[in-house]
Parts: sequence; structure tokens; C-alpha cells
Amino acid sequence: MSTSKIIKSFKETLVDNCSIKEDCDSYGNVSAWIKLESKDSMSSVANIVKSFKGRCIVATAYKNSDDSHTIVYHFDIDGTIFNVEMNTNDNMFFSITPTIPSANWAEREIREMYGVEPMGHPDTDRLFLDYSIAKGVLNEYIPLSKLQRGVSETDIMWKKVKKDIDNG
Amino acid sequence: MGEKIKIGPFHPELEESVYFKLVADEEGIVKEVEIVNGFIHRGMESLVTNKNFMQNLILTERVCSLCSNNHPFTFVLAVEKISNIKVPLRAEALRVIADEVKRVASNLFNLSMLSHLTHSHELMKDTLEAREYMQDLKESIWGNRMDMSVNLFTGVKYDLDDKKIDFILNKLSIVEPKIKELQSRYENDETIRERCIGVGILPKDKALELGVTGPVAKGSGINRDVRVKAPYSLYAIRPELQPYIKHRDGCDVLSRAMARFDDVIEAIRIIKDVVSDMPEGKTYLEKRPHIPKGESVVRTEAPRGELIYYLKTDGTQKPVRMRWKVPTYTNWEALKVMILGDKVENVTMILNSIDPCISCTER
Amino acid sequence: MSKPTPKLFRINTGSCNGCDVEFVATAFVDKFQLDKLGVELVEDISQANILVITGPLTARSEPFLKDYISRLSEPYAVVGIGTCSVTSGIFRDSYAINGPTDKVVDVDINIAGCPPRPHSIAEGIAKGIKILNQKASGEKVSKKIDMILQGFEAPKTFRGKISLHVEMCTACRTCETVCPSGAINITKVGDSYEHKVWHNTCCFCGNCGFFCPTGAIYNTNDFDTSKHQDEKYSDINLEYIKTDVCSCCKEVYKKPTKGLLGKAYVYDDVNKLNSNICPKCRKKENFKRMYS
Repeated sequence: MSTSKIIKSFKETLVDNCSIKEDCDSYGNVSAWIKLESKDSMSSVANIVKSFKGRCIVATAYKNSDDSHTIVYHFDIDGTIFNVEMNTNDNMFFSITPTIPSANWAEREIREMYGVEPMGHPDTDRLFLDYSIAKGVLNEYIPLSKLQRGVSETDIMWKKVKKDIDNG
Repeated sequence: MGEKIKIGPFHPELEESVYFKLVADEEGIVKEVEIVNGFIHRGMESLVTNKNFMQNLILTERVCSLCSNNHPFTFVLAVEKISNIKVPLRAEALRVIADEVKRVASNLFNLSMLSHLTHSHELMKDTLEAREYMQDLKESIWGNRMDMSVNLFTGVKYDLDDKKIDFILNKLSIVEPKIKELQSRYENDETIRERCIGVGILPKDKALELGVTGPVAKGSGINRDVRVKAPYSLYAIRPELQPYIKHRDGCDVLSRAMARFDDVIEAIRIIKDVVSDMPEGKTYLEKRPHIPKGESVVRTEAPRGELIYYLKTDGTQKPVRMRWKVPTYTNWEALKVMILGDKVENVTMILNSIDPCISCTER
Repeated sequence: MSKPTPKLFRINTGSCNGCDVEFVATAFVDKFQLDKLGVELVEDISQANILVITGPLTARSEPFLKDYISRLSEPYAVVGIGTCSVTSGIFRDSYAINGPTDKVVDVDINIAGCPPRPHSIAEGIAKGIKILNQKASGEKVSKKIDMILQGFEAPKTFRGKISLHVEMCTACRTCETVCPSGAINITKVGDSYEHKVWHNTCCFCGNCGFFCPTGAIYNTNDFDTSKHQDEKYSDINLEYIKTDVCSCCKEVYKKPTKGLLGKAYVYDDVNKLNSNICPKCRKKENFKRMYS
């Protein structure tokens, strides 16, 4: 199956609601980058990926300076990577796990690392983050230890080393 | 209601900490399984954004020590894709040699764990002794038995001269016949056959749906090896280096172990081929190149399967966002398919057969 | 009173596997001599009297570690394997790390390394057993123990403890910038620079040696890092880099080393340029030389 056939399928379904570009690395591996205008188009994207028997490799999320979040899904369709990017500014998006089961863990991680909820996800348990830590922890820029104590663990330890040097 | 059994989190048969909560019926067959993760979650994705690129070369190595060369390898490939850097040919060859040596050592360790769990003590000792040759190789050429610290942004940090090449070829000539003999012993040993054949079945259709990769997929007859499907580095420049994948459809623990042996033997062939015909040239272009703004997605083949890195930079010294998906991340969901319906005493064996790298998964 | 059989239980509190894999290799490969110590690996923590801990102590494993320790019976010895258990190593300052281990349990022996050589691990366990025997017989626990297992040497290329050629160092702080675990600290003390390398948080990666522009800092092949907990903060490499006084303006400055000058001025006579003037005055002199 050629990459161009799959891209054509995306263009026909999403029409003007997306922008698509391709890049190629120095070894000849092509990957496609699709940017969605609205996060509601994600369910159509999931259906297309399923129809081509693709799988979700993983999804990445990050916080922008205006407090909105960007979520990028990385799909593998027949050996080519398709990266689908969407934005959300109300801390929620619609889960694609019911359509594509391989997206299960990635969406749960987005929930606990950024506090952005995948609506309709079948699993509500925490994945890796201990319950003693509040969710949304990757939204912070300063290490939590520094935030809580005003000084980082590294600084505390080096103080003890210097004390030992001064005491001879 | 069946019997509730808890395994872990700290257990001598478990290499890493994971908490199994099982419910079994009177015959010892697992009816329900709940796996609690998170013991090895260290917050790496937040740590990498607080450290600069040079520090991240080392931090990515310590995501997991068993596939510790693939993480910085994929990281530097992602950076080089953003910066449009073409690495010298000699550096590509040196990267592949380090990668394949690590693959051999990692797979041999998993196989020794298999014989440990079947209480075949002699076989375990022999496998670990064979692995020691690779560990000596790593210590003498790269300086550490696990974390080789090979990769750099425009090449590699080390070089090989004739003396070192002879040393490598010598070690390989000793270890290769031992590994072939070990494969035959694993395949024909009574205890191993009894405890591994028909255990932990992962049917091919389920494997496709869950998206498993690496030896787990190869054991169920699916070839998703990135070195063949989306070649990178020297595998793309010299296609004869791509590994030959044998078709195995046992779908059980023994199939996956045999798939790992195949990988090891192919790895030794690749190392011998590259080392005997090293291209001339530099080993790196510059130590601290400027990394412009951009984003990229790159994947390589780790000993356990497909490893993918997503990197977003903004021209400063620290990455904006770095995310990686490790093979065990996708292979983990396959555990539930394999464990349900099998006996309680097989649980640690099945866990070992997907070669779990929980520290990679949880970061 | 006869010596107790050393019974070992390993706890992984979130390590990257390096130390655990090397521990398995130490336990089952004969050449590392662990079997000579008569160590027995047990299945249940309540039977153990030597606890081996790896990992930086993640938030989720902390309550379980405390629970397991409460099931140990006296006397017991605790050995921490790897830089992570001593100081949380490279993972320090993360939201998920509550370590290092000595916040939760009293550690007896620390073995730094990333991962430490099996020879170091065997040595550390041997020292742990000695401490266990002293505790069991009521003797005073010794803080300084000599090397127990003999006959090991690392290859010359092994990345061991860091050392510094003081005369080649210019205090440029490149090593401090590229060190991933914050093991190097350079501060100005009076008129010299104090260059400190703390071995217990070093991850032996070789980054400092590779990126150093003058080759001043380097890895030796010394791998003996198993020390008592009392030496945790004092196991350092300390050097003083002297400064000079400019013969023109009398300000204090750091003279560039021959290596650095040789790289910057490829065509000129390096010795002539290495006279006692600071960068500001050197700029003025060169401008005069080239344009007047």
C-alpha cells in the first residue's frame, strides 16, 4: 500500500480541516505530519487508521505557553509513521481506545501526567503515577522538590560535602 | 470466589518490582489478573527537560541498562534528523557494532533467566558464562559492562584500531560455537520443553491487534523488525546487514526463546561482517553542534522490539519535549492474554518470556 | 558464638536494572568469588540477615520498602549497590523520587558505580558480612575495613573514579555543565578555584573526560568504591586551581593552559603569548601589535 494512497484517504475525509506534510530522513524513511484544525476530527482519523489495519504506537502531549495542550498521536500504517497533531484548551479530548485498542496506555498516561481527560476511556485506574503525587505533574516547570523546600536535593547534599571539607 | 494470590512487589524471581494480584480457582488456573505498576516510575520525561543535551546523552542510557545503547542511539538519530546532519560512514559502522554487541548480551541474560526459572542450574550458569565474554568485550573496548556511552551527536566517542578488532574477532570466535551449542541444549532439554511448550500462548491475530513487536511478535510469526521494515544507519546503506528472520509460529514461551537465539546468531554475523570491512574516515564531525528548532520521530530496533522517540526542540540547550515508547509498553497488554487461563506457577515464566523491561516502560 | 550464615535478600526500589543484572552475574558466575563467602539467597525477607538494596527509592516503592524492613529481625546488615541507592544518582530532583535509601533505613556499606563491577559488589557484600558478624557477636562495628577479596584488576580502559591533572585545568566549567548527575562542583574560594568531584554521586559515564577541552579531567581505572556509610560525604577528589596576578593591571586571573593557547593561536609562538597578562590586557596588547 503506498503512502500517497493513505494520505489521499485522509484528505478526502478531513477536507479542509487539516494540513498535511511529509518528511524524509537521510535513510529514505518517509513520515507524514497531519495537523488537525479541530480535535473532533480525531474519531474520523481513528476510523481511517483502523480501516488500513494500522496501530497506534504511542501518543505524546505537552503544555503550551497559553495553558492549552497539544496531543500528537503516532500511528504506524503498513510501516510508515503518521503523526496526527491536535490541540485542546479545555483539559479533555475524546478517547480513541474503543476504536484502536493499542492507544490504551498512551491516553491513560496523558491523563495522569497532564490532567487532560480522555473521555470514554474504558480504564480509570492510575498507570504509573503513585497516588501520593497529584496528577498533572508534567505541567510544572520547576522540580517539585525545589518547589516544596525552596532548595533542591542536590543543593542539600552538596552542603554536607562542603561541611566535610571545611571540617577537614 | 477463588483463591487470592499476591506476587511481589519484591520477589527473588522477579528481576524488577511489579505487583501481581491474582485470583485462581481450585486447580490453580488463573481466572483474574490485576497488575499494579509504578514502582520504577522515576519521572524521566520531566528530568530530560531539565537537563541539557549533553547530559541527556547519559540520562537516556539509564532508562534501562539492558537496552541501554538503543536509547541514546535513537536520541541522537532524532537530533540529527532535526539538525540535518549526515554522520560519517565510519561512525555509522561503529554505532552498529556497539548496538549488536549489546543485543547479544541482553538476549543471553533473558535466556539465562529462563533457565533460572525452570531450575536448570547448569544451563543458567553456562549461559551467564557465555555472556561474560561479551561483558569483557564491553569493559575492554568501551569501559563499562552495561552503559557503554558510545553515541554522540555527530558520530561516536570511540574508535577501533587493528588490535581491538582482533580482540573482538577473537572473543566472537570463542563465543559463537558456545551459543550454537546452547541453542541446541535449550531446544532439546526435557525440563525446558515440559515447562515452555504450550505455555503462555499468544495467537497471531491477537498479536497483530495489540501491536506487539520484537521477539514476542517473531515467536507468533510476525516480523516487525525495524532494521528490516524501516532501515536506519548502516542497515539502510548496506542492506545485506539486515538480519534474516526465521519464521516461527509456536506462539509460546519456547518459540520466543528460539527467536531470541536467532537474533543473537544474526547479531554475531553482523558484527563480524562490519568489523572485517571498516570504512575509513572520521568518527565524529563536531562535539557540540548547534541544534535548531524542530520536531522529529525516529525508531530503531531494541533487543526487545521497536523503540520510538519523539523530540521537540526550540534552539535552546534543553529539549522542549522528549517522549519515547519502548517495546515492553505495547507487549505488556499481551500479558493479560497469555496469563489468563494458564497456571499460577507459570506466571513468572510468562512474564520473563516477553522480556519485560519495566524500567523502560515506566520511565 | 558461631558466625551466622549470611542470608541475602535483594530489593529493587526502582533501579534501571544495571545493578540488579550485575548482582545476578556476581551471584552465579564463579570467578567473582561470592560462593566462597558462603552466601545463601533466601525467598522470604523474614529469613534474611543481609539486605541488598538497589535503586533511587521511588515514591511508590517507599511504603513497601518500609513494610519489608519491618519484617527483618536483628541483627542485620544493609548494603546499598549502585550510585542510585547512595545519593539517588542521576535521578535526583525528580517528583517521583523520595530517596536516597538512607532516609528510610540505616545503611552500612555503600557501593558507588553505575553499575559497579561485580568485583566491587562482591567486595561490598564481603564487608557487609563482616559487619553482620560483628553485630551478631556484640563487637564494635568497624568503620574502616580493608580490602577483603584480592586478585582483581580492571582493564586500562575501564571508566573508574575521576581524577584531575591540576596544571592542565583552566576552570572553564565544561565538566560541570556536561555532568549529568551533578558530581562536579567548582567554586571560587579566595583567590583559587576549588574543583570537587564527589565519587558517591558520579555515574562514571566519561562525559567530563570526553568534553574537556584540555584533557585535564579523566577517568582512572580505580573501581574500589565500597565504603562505609560514614565516608559517604567525604569520598571526594579535591584539587585547587591557582590563579595568577596580571603583570599589567595587577588583577587576579586564571592563566590559560598551554593546551588551550595552542588551540587558539595555531601560528604564533605559544610561549611568547603565555606571559603573565590577563585577557583584557592581552586584547589591548594584540590590538596594538596588529593595528598600530
